[in-house]
Amino acid sequence: MNKANVKVVKTKTKRVLNVLITYCILILVAFIFFFPCLWLILASFSKSGSIYSFDGFFPAQYGFDTFKSLFTDTVMYNYPRWFLNTLFIAVMSCILGTLLTILTAYCMSRFRFKSRKAMMKATLLLGMFPSFMGTIAVYLIMTQFNLINQHWGLILIYSAQAPMGYMVQKGFFDTIPYSIDEAARIDGASNFTVFVKFILPLSKPMLVYTALTSFTWPWSDFILPKMLLIDKDLYTVAVGLMSLGETEFARFAAGSIFIAIPIIVLYFCLVKYMINGMAAGAVKE
Amino acid sequence: MKIVKKIKALPDKIRAVPGNISKRLAGAKEILTQGNGKVTASMLVMGLGQLLYKQWVKGAMFAFIQIAFIVYFVLTGATDLFGFFTLGTREGNAWYGVEGDNSVVRLIMGILAIMIIMLYAAIYVSNVKDVYRTQCAIDTLKKPADFKQEAAALLDKSFHKTALALPVIGVCVFSILPIVFMILIAFTNYGGDIVPPALVDWVGFANFGKILSLGQFAPTFFKIFGWNMLWAVLATALNYFAGLGLALLLNKKCVKGKAIWRAFPILAYAIPGFITLLGFKFMFSYGGPINYYIQQGGGEAVGFLGLDAKWSARFIGLAVNAWISIPSTMLLATGILSNVNNDLYEAARVDGASAWKQFIKITLPYVLFATTPVLISQFIGNFNNFGIFYFLRGGLYADGYFLASDTDLLINWLYNMSIDNNYYSIGAAISLVIFVITSIISLTVYVLSPSYKQEETFR
Amino acid sequence: MRKTLPALIAHIAIILAVIIVMGTLGLIAAGLDADGNEKFTGEIERNVTLRILENDTAKEQGYLEELLNAFNEKYAEYGIKAVDANMDQYTDLEKGGPYGYGPDVLYQANDALMKYVDGKHILPLPVEQLECADKVGERAWAAYRAKAGGQEFTFGVPVNIQQPLLFYRKDLLPENWETEWDDDKNGVPDIIENWTDMYRFSQQIRTDSNGARYGYMKSLNDGYFASGYFLSYGGYVFGGEDGKDVSDIGFSKNDGWMGGRIIRQLASVMNFECTEDTITRNSYSRMAQGTYFATMTTPDVYTLFIKEMVNAGYTEQYARDNLIMTDVPALPVSGDLEDESQGFKDMTAMGGVNGYAISSYTKAPNAALAFVNFATSYNMINRRAELLGISPARSDLAEALGGLNETIKENLDKGSIYVMPSVRALAQVWTPLQTYCATIAKDMLDNKNVYAGAEKLKEGIANVDKQIYDAIHTLGGS
Repeated sequence: MNKANVKVVKTKTKRVLNVLITYCILILVAFIFFFPCLWLILASFSKSGSIYSFDGFFPAQYGFDTFKSLFTDTVMYNYPRWFLNTLFIAVMSCILGTLLTILTAYCMSRFRFKSRKAMMKATLLLGMFPSFMGTIAVYLIMTQFNLINQHWGLILIYSAQAPMGYMVQKGFFDTIPYSIDEAARIDGASNFTVFVKFILPLSKPMLVYTALTSFTWPWSDFILPKMLLIDKDLYTVAVGLMSLGETEFARFAAGSIFIAIPIIVLYFCLVKYMINGMAAGAVKE
Repeated sequence: MKIVKKIKALPDKIRAVPGNISKRLAGAKEILTQGNGKVTASMLVMGLGQLLYKQWVKGAMFAFIQIAFIVYFVLTGATDLFGFFTLGTREGNAWYGVEGDNSVVRLIMGILAIMIIMLYAAIYVSNVKDVYRTQCAIDTLKKPADFKQEAAALLDKSFHKTALALPVIGVCVFSILPIVFMILIAFTNYGGDIVPPALVDWVGFANFGKILSLGQFAPTFFKIFGWNMLWAVLATALNYFAGLGLALLLNKKCVKGKAIWRAFPILAYAIPGFITLLGFKFMFSYGGPINYYIQQGGGEAVGFLGLDAKWSARFIGLAVNAWISIPSTMLLATGILSNVNNDLYEAARVDGASAWKQFIKITLPYVLFATTPVLISQFIGNFNNFGIFYFLRGGLYADGYFLASDTDLLINWLYNMSIDNNYYSIGAAISLVIFVITSIISLTVYVLSPSYKQEETFR
Repeated sequence: MRKTLPALIAHIAIILAVIIVMGTLGLIAAGLDADGNEKFTGEIERNVTLRILENDTAKEQGYLEELLNAFNEKYAEYGIKAVDANMDQYTDLEKGGPYGYGPDVLYQANDALMKYVDGKHILPLPVEQLECADKVGERAWAAYRAKAGGQEFTFGVPVNIQQPLLFYRKDLLPENWETEWDDDKNGVPDIIENWTDMYRFSQQIRTDSNGARYGYMKSLNDGYFASGYFLSYGGYVFGGEDGKDVSDIGFSKNDGWMGGRIIRQLASVMNFECTEDTITRNSYSRMAQGTYFATMTTPDVYTLFIKEMVNAGYTEQYARDNLIMTDVPALPVSGDLEDESQGFKDMTAMGGVNGYAISSYTKAPNAALAFVNFATSYNMINRRAELLGISPARSDLAEALGGLNETIKENLDKGSIYVMPSVRALAQVWTPLQTYCATIAKDMLDNKNVYAGAEKLKEGIANVDKQIYDAIHTLGGS
């Protein structure tokens, strides 16, 4: 074998090794993230409701009763109703929250106005306040606006607080070259048009990220709905699950799995936008 | 060095402040001296000047705001504003149906009233400026912008004003108002037995004096603060780099079926945090599956989160927190990485740069630039991470700690001491102290960070 | 400056004038004495809806529906409709009530209900008008009495008495118990009569089964149940005549420390799971599997045990016949499970009295009172006892039902039930107490024996008192 060949073989083994290691790590990561979920899934198929009739991670006996009772036994725990409630709140908050967050981030990234830096620092500082005391104030405000025990009250809070987290999106917009805006403005487009026609299509990954986060937050939040919803029929899944009895672990697990499904579905629908973000790159420098 | 420069630059900045003010004063003086009768009319009644200039729609809008504001004040605004200072004067007695003043509601509506006055002042000023602008335009024989043009500007030149209006109002009411409320609560005696219907009063700095005079307080504070800092740094670094690493790993060309691989962390992301925490707590408990296998293998049960499990509980906390947070960091990093300019990598490859070098020279600076604010907010989030140890290891006090356990963060301690016992005012005072500390740290980091200083790099 | 400045000043002046005039008017209006009126006029409101907050078990077992239907039928002529409030059973009236979101009538534990008295969130009731007034015992009423403005009022109507009970599997008793485990020949196994024999029997099970099975099992860190051991030896929660003096914390008072010794000894027949809440949660299935012989809990979870036994393959009848609830065993006077030379004394257990209260924010107090009167009538409480297995606070019913119901009522009368103090500061008791109990149990299981001696146990419980005191007073004290 000559030298060149050796080199080819070496790079080849190196590459194979690289792939091998990559996959090993991936499998490990997948296992770490999947295992607790698998455990929950298994638990939901347990015949006995109690988590202590398990052998280690695995139920002693399997059955489907949990799922049946989850959706049919609604006198005490009206899971289907809670699920729809949560879906409604999360979808509405997701739409409104994403819109407001993206708008805020875009303005903070592209416009230079007087109070801009002050606003940026202020939002950073505000986020630092230990939040649980603020919830008292939020509750009081809602009582004054008569929005207790109503889904719209929750949606209002989620959407209104969402723009506080605009930093991520702003960081993203900052990385989109200004030449795109300038080119469009020379063509006579207004700022609004630039935003809608040029920036938004480039921001799909960020839109998806924003939508996912602003969906997940209301979807799995516990504190606000616990505080603001009184009627059991208005509960969200998170609040409802916490009210389950001690020996209802299987039902708790089954409920937790269903709560995860919409987010996973959403992810699979949106994943392609996340990955092929700025594929072509509208303007090459 | 950077800091030294900053400090040296400070006097200039301070000197610039009066400059700014005097500039504004000059603007105000100009309007006051040069304004004509129509400006005066708008000063007296909002929108009147505009109406005199035959700008009907705009004038009517300003006039409407004027009326709405006065109606608000007649109906509740004035009472609310007074309530801010008195915090209520009549104690209720629900037994006999006597409706009293709810001090905290008074306070919150008072803050709202002040915010509305500020909003009104801003609209008033813009109303005067607007009419003066029209006057100037006519004086210089230019045609003032008609309503159509002004409306169009809202989507163009002042698009940011249109777009930011709703978010700013929302944030003011649901984020700023609660925080202002909390800050003010620190200066009242709200809490303990003094909760509505009892009337709350302003007490000045008494709560802070109370905190300072507590002897048992200091040793625990420093112990917890030390651990809290360590925790925030470790947790942030771990989540950030593991998330970024995962995103990079999944971005590798050789990985097939990316969507599937990425779905596993999404699973973790999809399950609400409190369920995860309860699950992990059970997993590591004496009666949990891990100890089951240890005992099956003939070992002794291990108290991972038990009474004297200081460090193992801390590490489990870190790991569980990572499990919960890495997926979202990964998502974020994936989104940001998809926007890196591929030409840079190609150029680097042509130059024969190794993968590591490409990471250090291209990827990392880029990602860091785009995510510094996120990093800071994650740091703060971790610093104030209430849930982890509340769920994993709540309900015990450690030796040598004053009403806290050795895994508690400041926020958990605060909760034990104040909220749990309804001592809201003291709780607010302590959170104010914590807030000052965290804000100084993070604001310094932020202002010194490249993404703040070189915001214009990618322009 | 021309004419513009006066316009600005005029504008500001007008606005200020509006604010000052309206604000002052508001202050004056608030200063006027608003006379309240007595709510219980005896005249039942017509055509009102009453929202009733009951506990989950009552709902689950169908009792609530029965109660509401019976009441609605009886009061149909008034057009009153009582409905399920459909809220969390632990709903805090203080939070929602003042804003109009609370229930009209609440069924909760006495400590939860009496917490509302300070803020006047529940109404003082004219209990002498109620049918059950002289049927409910004095101590049960006492749990609902409080002073306000120098006068004593009653704020709730007792329904049932809550007391921890011993739950055990009769079929797991040793076959020869009548000869070996019944020294006093009273036909009741000593194992369930006193803690010393329970302790010994537990040791025996552990040895016989080679550590696979257990006798008595309970999460020892559970403050509600563990407190009983300290209370039995003269300890108390808060001092003062009414047990509400929060400046005096007394778990370590008298021989209270001995409770710690009992807890340590009990830990030795258990495993590490007793230092956390695992046993409380797994006792249902472990009892069903026969891994545990006995545990201690409150009667409201009885059905959960039965459910698990059915899951484990027993018939419901068998489960009901063999899972027995009984009064808690007696403690050795010596305060040492290995020394019964001084005989036994009743255990004092932390308990409570659940009952009804009426929200101050109800629009129909008289109708609500009528509801409470109806719900606490002999027939309804009887039905409640039947369906939910509660121990009624009504003496006539407790006597008629006999058995455990009568025992529990007597326990309350003679003071063996330490009624949970209705004080907000009670919330500060649990964490220090729990930590201490877990510490001494772990000390035993680790064989560290730091707390083996009386001195150290005294010091430990005294420290608990101090921690509780600190938690209550450090920040609250003015």
